[in-house]
Amino acid sequence: MFSTTGNAAMAKTTSYKVVLPFYLYAAIAFLIATFLLVVSAGSITSHYFQPHTLAIIHIMALGWGTMIILGASHQLVPVLIEGELYSNKLALLSFFLAALGIPLLSYGFYVFNPGWPAQAGAVLIIVAIVFFLINLAVSMAKSKHENVHAFFIFTSALWLLATAVVGLLLLCNFTEAVLPKSSLDYLPLHAHMGIAGWFLLLITGVGSRLIPMFLISKYSNKKILWLIYGLINAGLLAFVFLFLYSSSRTLLIIPLLAVTAAVLLFGYFCCQAYKQRIRKKTDQPMNISLLSVLMMLLPVIFLVIIVFLLSRSAVENVRLVIAYGFIIFFGWITAIILGMTFKTLPFIIWNKVHHHLTGKEKTPNPKDLFNNTVFKWMSAAYISGFVLFVSGILCNSTIVLQAAAFLLLLTSLLYNWNVIKLLTYKPVAK
Amino acid sequence: MSLLTNNHLKSTVALAYLQSVTDPEIGLNIVDLGLVYELNFNEAEKLIRCVMTLTTQFCPMGESITTDARETLKTGFPEYAVELELTFDPPWNHEMISADGREFLNER
Repeated sequence: MFSTTGNAAMAKTTSYKVVLPFYLYAAIAFLIATFLLVVSAGSITSHYFQPHTLAIIHIMALGWGTMIILGASHQLVPVLIEGELYSNKLALLSFFLAALGIPLLSYGFYVFNPGWPAQAGAVLIIVAIVFFLINLAVSMAKSKHENVHAFFIFTSALWLLATAVVGLLLLCNFTEAVLPKSSLDYLPLHAHMGIAGWFLLLITGVGSRLIPMFLISKYSNKKILWLIYGLINAGLLAFVFLFLYSSSRTLLIIPLLAVTAAVLLFGYFCCQAYKQRIRKKTDQPMNISLLSVLMMLLPVIFLVIIVFLLSRSAVENVRLVIAYGFIIFFGWITAIILGMTFKTLPFIIWNKVHHHLTGKEKTPNPKDLFNNTVFKWMSAAYISGFVLFVSGILCNSTIVLQAAAFLLLLTSLLYNWNVIKLLTYKPVAK
Repeated sequence: MSLLTNNHLKSTVALAYLQSVTDPEIGLNIVDLGLVYELNFNEAEKLIRCVMTLTTQFCPMGESITTDARETLKTGFPEYAVELELTFDPPWNHEMISADGREFLNER
């Protein structure tokens, strides 16, 4: 029997000092994005390529989605790759560069100035991603464990880098013609590299590890995970190729089918994990995370309709495209973050505060460190705000959009309330 | 997986103590979770050797759980030194959860 004395067999977890800034930054970014949504709700349905919408999308995609995923990834890398994170300093460097780059880029979009602030922001974000990739690559090389989840996370980071580089080229293309066509023409390429390559690949890879783990499920199926990995990457590569070298819109059905199959397989994987769970009752954060898996189907349905309509007419349905983008960033991605924040952050805080007290005095449960009632109200505000906003886009109703935007702002306020409660948590003095 | 021990009486007492050590995420104690593999009592050296595992090798709560287990054994057996060994062979699996543990998880 292999055994190691003491804690030598247990690698150090990533320092909370590295992880917590990402969580705080993401929470503030979510608040700013929902505030801007309230301010811009009236004009959101005019077109997706307008300054405020672009700013909101980039704050949501980078400040909210990417920052929290980077933070959680640094924390989860040891669990996912079965090895230690190579460098905490590199992780912090990634944070500071991205934290500086995202507001510069978003400000550039908000005032529609693709010049130096936006371009400098994009460069800083690219360097942050490169540092994240280096940290991940060295961690994986040192771990020596072949792990499907590690492939998901590394490949998704490569797609993120490619997305950011294309984004920088699109920005430069505004001021100087560096690409053969206008930046607007390349928007679907940039958006889908980020949505499917970064978010979908990473969330399926990390989710397939965390969801069965939190459910204490007996289900495991590496073959399906490799198939999902292959389908997303093959579908995305086919999309990039067809986008750049083919004029046929009908052929776009090929990558769409591949990604749809991947989403359905991931849904099947989560369903089996849920059915074979040992822990029967699921808590609120887990329920929201499982809801996000269901919500993955919505963008697929919208995309099928958009591609179908595009194959019949050259004119795209702008409101459907806006709804599609909203469903991705405020729906699926936001739902999984709302749920998983309160499955991971309480444990990071618990380890930070109570770690030295274990075995010496009674400590509270990590799930008791945040307010569950606030979480329930947040979930209710979020679900109603989300449904109303999608309805508002489809019906083109400003009143519905404004009411929904206020509900989403309330969601972010309640989310921030619980995050701040966790970040400032101190044990009761005895 | 049944517990390996050289002293059934003392290990019963030790397991009773270890039932107060819980995995903070799951909420179940480490005995019913099946994390404790071996408890040996070396009477000559007054040493308890506890071999245990974690649900996953890089469990973020791992250090807290093992510290808690060590401190609990020291409290229960103050005349003994405690040597805690962590093993991942065999790795933990769901079959190791006791019937009581399964019942507990069914109700939660």
